Amino acid sequence: MENLVLSKEKLPEMLTEIASKYALFGPIEENGFTSFKHINNSQEINLDYLLTRISPKSLIFQQTETLFTFNKGKEVKVNTPKTDEAKRVIFGIRPCDARGYSILDPVFEGKKEGDYKDPFYTKKRNRSTLIGLSCNKPDLNCFCTSFDDSPASAKNVDILFTDIGEKYFVDIVTEKGKELIENLSKLFSKASEENREVREKVEQDAINAITRHMNTEGVVKKLDKMFNHDLWQKTAMRCVGCGICTFLCPTCHCFDMQDEAILKEGARIRVWDSCMYPEYTMHASGHNPRPARMNRVRNRIYHKFSYFPKNDKIFACTGCGRCIDYCPVNIDIIDIIAKVKEAKT
Amino acid sequence: MEEFEPNIIGFLCNWCSYAGADLAGTSRIQYPPNVKIIKVMCSGRINPMYVVNALQQGADGVLIGGCHPGDCHYSRGNYLARRRIAVMKRLLEYIGIEPERVRMTWVSAAEGRKFAEVVEEVTEDIKKIGPMKKIRRENVW
Amino acid sequence: MVDLKNLIEITKKIISREDVKYIVGYKKGTYGFQIMPAFAYTPEDAEEFIYSPLCSKNLAVYTILEEKLPLKRGEEEDKRKIGVVVKGCDSRAVVQIIQEKGLKREDLVLIGIPCRGVIEPKKIEKMFPNQTDLIEVIENDNSEYIINIGGKTHKVPKNELLSDVCKSCEFPNPPLYDVLLGEEVEITETEEFSKINELDEKPTEDKWEYWKEHFERCIRCYACREACPLCYCKECMADTLNPQWIRRSVNLSENTAWNIMRAYHLAGRCISCGECERVCPVNIPLMELNKKIERDVKKMFDYTSGLDEEEKPLFGMFKPDDPEDFIL
Repeated sequence: MENLVLSKEKLPEMLTEIASKYALFGPIEENGFTSFKHINNSQEINLDYLLTRISPKSLIFQQTETLFTFNKGKEVKVNTPKTDEAKRVIFGIRPCDARGYSILDPVFEGKKEGDYKDPFYTKKRNRSTLIGLSCNKPDLNCFCTSFDDSPASAKNVDILFTDIGEKYFVDIVTEKGKELIENLSKLFSKASEENREVREKVEQDAINAITRHMNTEGVVKKLDKMFNHDLWQKTAMRCVGCGICTFLCPTCHCFDMQDEAILKEGARIRVWDSCMYPEYTMHASGHNPRPARMNRVRNRIYHKFSYFPKNDKIFACTGCGRCIDYCPVNIDIIDIIAKVKEAKT
Repeated sequence: MEEFEPNIIGFLCNWCSYAGADLAGTSRIQYPPNVKIIKVMCSGRINPMYVVNALQQGADGVLIGGCHPGDCHYSRGNYLARRRIAVMKRLLEYIGIEPERVRMTWVSAAEGRKFAEVVEEVTEDIKKIGPMKKIRRENVW
Repeated sequence: MVDLKNLIEITKKIISREDVKYIVGYKKGTYGFQIMPAFAYTPEDAEEFIYSPLCSKNLAVYTILEEKLPLKRGEEEDKRKIGVVVKGCDSRAVVQIIQEKGLKREDLVLIGIPCRGVIEPKKIEKMFPNQTDLIEVIENDNSEYIINIGGKTHKVPKNELLSDVCKSCEFPNPPLYDVLLGEEVEITETEEFSKINELDEKPTEDKWEYWKEHFERCIRCYACREACPLCYCKECMADTLNPQWIRRSVNLSENTAWNIMRAYHLAGRCISCGECERVCPVNIPLMELNKKIERDVKKMFDYTSGLDEEEKPLFGMFKPDDPEDFIL
């Protein structure tokens, strides 16, 4: 891993350089909260944010995606839609959100040769270079350390920036990252041992600032015995089924497909869906295998902490804390897992 | 440049307004051809979402026609429609959709002349404000 | 002021009755200023109940969320009552649902709380960020909130934290209840919900600019619908496929249609609890739409929702002299 430093005043220059060659995405503040958007002017970027309200999964797994278009007439033609071919750089992504992509990869890209690869996800994913930004001040509901991660983890990004006061400490992790800044090397300088020490201190301070922790040891096995536990009913009683947790989650990836058409043409589109809605599992016959909110709340937890680890050996949770922050009835995933650990079976 | 010819969807009740429009035709009264009429059994049957949906799908304006108060074939449908559309109209106005785009009128089966005049006025007004773009579906995939 | 002992005492008494299944109230949350809805099945459960200015959640939603799953053979329907702790607006929501025949009065036990306004969670979390320990907030007689954080006491003027809808609330006392805790709140003069007036006076294009920006952001999670105590249709118009009123794709046109539809379906029904705006993950000022309609309805038809169970719904009746100045 190569280490460099970049002084803060050179950041706009770097971003402008990148924006001239790539489609640059970064956090922009609008109406009091930040979200990832396409950036034309590097001044727009807001790096004071901690977590965007909507996770950046939306950049790669778009909320609305056209799968194909079709026309009506004597000859029916099915066309693949035009895709955005531009190479992308996602700047300022937090390590936990970057980890979200790594969790989504086996879902959309398959695990082994011959598995189905979702072309829309794969194309965007492969064309994106991630520039991460470490969190110096974690939020109240951050608990990424509970998943062997850290607020300054470089595991899932191509390049990682860490704020060390006057400068950014830059970890170059992958070949892709190296390629990106090859032409920009005049802006960077070599990192000194001192810089590295500061970076490590910043990381340690951030880790220490995380106040909430989730103990996931043995949860997978415990959940196997808890399918009929009354914890689910108790939690689900207060759930209103609003689905905010799934819409904001960086790892939730359920979707619905629908056809939209006008007189002579139309398209099949894919939109985000949520397992917290009763319609989600509704069969055409009228039977619903998850008829009660209890089933749906339980499924959300089981998917993240039982099914997913069994299939892909990773918890489908990054510890970003969005679902805890925005749940209107205080359904707290840390609290639920703690209760799972305590529960008698 | 060609003059803008608006698309206006007219929801007319079967018993009065539609018959009024019919009379305008049989009496050979000239009126702008911009109104595309959809016959409904009663103005009270018009779901206010029809208005929004029409504007989404290509209409530049919507005209709703019912019987005069007291004349409704179902005795109260037009009164109910009056309330519903009054609220919807104000809501659309508040969101920023020009009030001229949603109009309501009472036309009886004997008022062919009035129907033609209303259509003329509505078409004139919508021509002035131009095409509806704000909430139109783009249908680009 | 609500006496906590009294609240628990009464809850215990009601839950001990044979014809009551459970009572919905509030209890402490898991961190910071969080409060969570609590369900008491036994008198012991009721010990956890609390009430404070932080209890903003409208619990009336749980009366319509009660799930009636298909019964198994030999199973009998549980016809016992549900108890709910209701503030002014919550009680109005219940009245409105009863009026629409969505609920039966005899299926409910209402514990009324005269409400002095609730704190907007977003505001207090902004003022005192990153609180991990549970914090209690008390209101004193001086229109101040007393907030005790880590041994330090903060006094904050009520107006700074009060929810916007509470500032213009005209009905703090529950119109419908079985037991009322404490004494009715005196209704003082209320501020007008001024945001609507400001926008109302602007030209059409500015209005659209304002709403366009908000609607573009909507992610159509429908949290506003699910959290609303009055959105209880078995099948929402947004979910029907034939006819499909609005498409599922997320773009300005469909988002606007959805927001118009939601607001319009609450015309003459919305009871201004502000829950939709509170839950919205992308900060759309939904209450402005609701309040606008509420004001129009009041002005045109002299109608206020959720006060009388016997009244007919706004769009289910008419007066021959309803305003018709807009009709050609």
